[in-house]
Amino acid sequence: MTETPFLELENISKYYGNIIALKGVTTNVSPGEVTCVLGDNGAGKSTFIKILAGVHQQSEGEFRLEGKSVMFDSPRDALGCGIATVYQDLAMVPLMSVWRNFFLGAEPKTGIWPFRVIDIPKAKRVAKEEMAKMGIDIRDTEQPVGTLSGGERQSVAIARAGYFGAKVLILDEPTSALGVKQSGVVLRRIVEARDRGLAVIFITHNPNHAYPVGDRFVILNRGASMGNFSKSEISQTELTQMMAGGAELEALQHELASAVGE
Amino acid sequence: MNDDVLTDEQESLAATGDDERLAFRGPIQTVLTRPEIGAMLGVVAVWLLFWLVSGSFGTVGGTANYLDVAAILGIMAVPVALLMIGGEFDLSSGSMTGATAVLVVLLSKSVGPYGGAGLSLHIAVPLVFAFALLIGWFNGTMVEKTSLPSFIVTLGTFFILIGGKLGVAKLFTDKVIVEGLDEAAGYRFWNDLFGAVWLRNNHPWDGRDWAWAILLIVGGVGLLLSVFDLTFKHRRNRNVTALPILLAGTAIGVGGVIGLLTSEGTTSDVIFAVVVGVGVIDGVIGWCRWRYEPADHPAGEQSRRVLLLAGAGVVTVLAAITVAAVMDANNDNDLNFLGGSLGRVVFLAGVAAMGVLAILAVNGKVSQSTPAIGAAVSAVPAVSYLVTFQAARAILFVALSLAGLFLIAAAMRAAAARTAFAVSMLVPLMMVVLALFIRSEGDSRKIRVEVMSGILLAALALASMSVARFLSAPRSSAAAHSELGQWTRRAAIAGAAAFVISLIFEFGDFGPALLDAHAENGTAYTIVASVFKAGLVALGVYATGVIVRVFTTHDEGIGKALASVSIAALGLGLAAKLLFITTLEAEATQAVTRFRVSVLYYLVFAAIGAWMLVRTQFGSWTFAVGGNKEASRSVGVPAAHTKTTLFMLVSSAAFVTGMVIAFRLNSVQSNVGDGNEFRYIIVAVVGGCLLTGGYGSAAGAAIGALIWGMITQGIGFAGWNTDWRFLVLGFLLLVAVIVNNYVRGRAERVK
Repeated sequence: MTETPFLELENISKYYGNIIALKGVTTNVSPGEVTCVLGDNGAGKSTFIKILAGVHQQSEGEFRLEGKSVMFDSPRDALGCGIATVYQDLAMVPLMSVWRNFFLGAEPKTGIWPFRVIDIPKAKRVAKEEMAKMGIDIRDTEQPVGTLSGGERQSVAIARAGYFGAKVLILDEPTSALGVKQSGVVLRRIVEARDRGLAVIFITHNPNHAYPVGDRFVILNRGASMGNFSKSEISQTELTQMMAGGAELEALQHELASAVGE
Repeated sequence: MNDDVLTDEQESLAATGDDERLAFRGPIQTVLTRPEIGAMLGVVAVWLLFWLVSGSFGTVGGTANYLDVAAILGIMAVPVALLMIGGEFDLSSGSMTGATAVLVVLLSKSVGPYGGAGLSLHIAVPLVFAFALLIGWFNGTMVEKTSLPSFIVTLGTFFILIGGKLGVAKLFTDKVIVEGLDEAAGYRFWNDLFGAVWLRNNHPWDGRDWAWAILLIVGGVGLLLSVFDLTFKHRRNRNVTALPILLAGTAIGVGGVIGLLTSEGTTSDVIFAVVVGVGVIDGVIGWCRWRYEPADHPAGEQSRRVLLLAGAGVVTVLAAITVAAVMDANNDNDLNFLGGSLGRVVFLAGVAAMGVLAILAVNGKVSQSTPAIGAAVSAVPAVSYLVTFQAARAILFVALSLAGLFLIAAAMRAAAARTAFAVSMLVPLMMVVLALFIRSEGDSRKIRVEVMSGILLAALALASMSVARFLSAPRSSAAAHSELGQWTRRAAIAGAAAFVISLIFEFGDFGPALLDAHAENGTAYTIVASVFKAGLVALGVYATGVIVRVFTTHDEGIGKALASVSIAALGLGLAAKLLFITTLEAEATQAVTRFRVSVLYYLVFAAIGAWMLVRTQFGSWTFAVGGNKEASRSVGVPAAHTKTTLFMLVSSAAFVTGMVIAFRLNSVQSNVGDGNEFRYIIVAVVGGCLLTGGYGSAAGAAIGALIWGMITQGIGFAGWNTDWRFLVLGFLLLVAVIVNNYVRGRAERVK
């Protein structure tokens, strides 16, 4: 990559009182690249994305956006800078229709003030078009989101983030609750988003999902960064091992092997 | 949930217009899946029930009576519903209505021993409004800042307000009742605003019945045509050759109606009714040929089952009439067909069988439902003791008639296209037969004329539907949005202009032609009359636009506009009937009918609430914070602000209700309104709101208030013991919740 990265993170750390949630994470995020953040439960993944999304502020380290040092006060701030987050729970209201969810918080409006209303025909049309761009043909935008399948819901969230001018798309565990087939669909969405020039940050604990789509891997373990690798530097097996704390997994394998041997 | 919804094939589909996976839902199905459908059906059922059993419930006086109760409840129920959709409760809402009422009296009462603050109402009323807003803001902010359930926080406010009201009232006046609002400065102005009364007896208008008839017919026909327009597939080019049929039908129909309205006597009534029927059917044929693609009915094979079902249906209807004709209508002895001792034996045998079967069922020898057989057996003699001959006759007649009609309807569903049409025409035909029988039978005017006319009109509508369905091909996709913005604007401008002109004339007392002005009726009269006239003008302009578009353009979505015009016409027709008296009526009655201005507030709150919820950004946010607060916050919805605004809406409505109460009673008991918060919540739930938030309807809550008013007042009108009131309301709540739950489940599955 020759161009300057969109986001640069240097030695990001986060402390909650005397608890070290995250220590010394360094990585770059560039447009058209998928950065995978891997780690087991409790590795600090959630803290990491909450800092990126503006929910929390880092205790130490520098966060540069297009070369300028920034500190987000709220999720709105981050959104304003083009960092959109698709949370694990997708931030959807299940009883509301697809188009209302798609435009929630940024409804297109028409008319003069006391009579200003949502431009419903436009909202429905755009929602349908944007979903079509993601390759999803939604049957009816009036459908409540609660009736969509997990993969479809994920797609609505991704399409929404893309439509509202996101430059960085953060996906928090998008595949964790999905079946094999649907996970495949979501991974394809990630690749499509990357191909449209977005920088994607893909958080997961599943190296089998991360390796095929990732260009760069950040591995977290017990709050500490285990390194920052590009795809050419690491194999899938190494990735799995590092995630689980390498040595520990090897020890476990020996233990199991000897147990079976007896 | 289907796990493999996404296949490559589906993904490759482009998002262009219609979707073949989406079955088209007609306007009737769409209405049936709305959250407020349970409440709407409830209104119809409750109204019919009390209209039948009571002589005065259906009159204008009765209507004024229950509207009054509904209004006081409805003004609060609408914002409470919005708050519930936003996921919160306000238990202080009931006592807040009383608090504002007490406060306004105390602030305006003259200074002195046992006096108040002696403020002019021009200062006191805005102060009370500010107080109400403050309480709402306090509730909202406390709920947001502490993250405690609103149930607890507002329970606190509830007790604070109750204690505060009582304490302050005693402190100032040494009584639990504060009085003397009418002595305050500025009373006249504020009483005009909050306490005005429309005395119907003072407003004669001899053209009323014509206006009522015309608006009713225009509205009914328009509604029918709008359903057609939204159900059937439009022709690419309109078939102009069918227009003469439509025009002829219209002319015949109009002639028939004029004949009906101007003539007297049974023979002429029957003749003109037939003329109207012919005109309507002819008009429907013309309309459908002109606008819609003709239906293609393949000749289906005749099925024995259809013939059997239809035949059984006709026989059952005829049996109903025979039974009613044979049985003595004036015999009010107990049925008791088993005789004394045999009845006792059967009853005891049934009870014993139930006991034995219950023991067997508990031990798993027979199925769990078997004991019901015993219960059914013992019920037979019990019923025969309780039911009179007369009542049994009525029950048999109604049950057999309905069963017959349902059998024919079942035959219709089982039949192939062409036969289905023939069978479907049997339903209205049987209805006409039944209506004629009821007419010859009934001993009250209500049954003879009104029930018969109702059944005949329903039969005509059904017949029109069948004819249209036979002639026209069904639509496959929903209509596109109709561009009527220009006419909306013209209607709004014309309505506003009419309103202003009317106000000038009313205040200037120039004596307008349509409605004579009475200066002594005050501002409320002027405003109501002007709103009425403005509504007529705006409706006229908008309807012109719709008609122009129906005849000059190929607009497939015009049906929606046509439906709203028709509903507005029906509403204005009803308003004309309720608000004005004819000279004939005025001479015949001594009873005074009052409509309080609170009814106007009720309608305005309902309209604004419904509009806000569905069409504005704030409405979308209300659904969102109630459905999933964290999610809506993370996509940028100001959740705290939205909820606080909702609490303040409730307290503003409490202010309006408090003022209405205060100006109506002049003296306010300090416990006024306490405990009403649960009524508001019940009414909102009846109207389709979910207790957990995120789903519901503001219009539904307003309709729920109407049901409440109808039941509490209707029980009195029917002459029943009013102690049963809460029992009925309890059942109402349960039934409404079950119906709503069912509808919601269906709506989600259908979608």
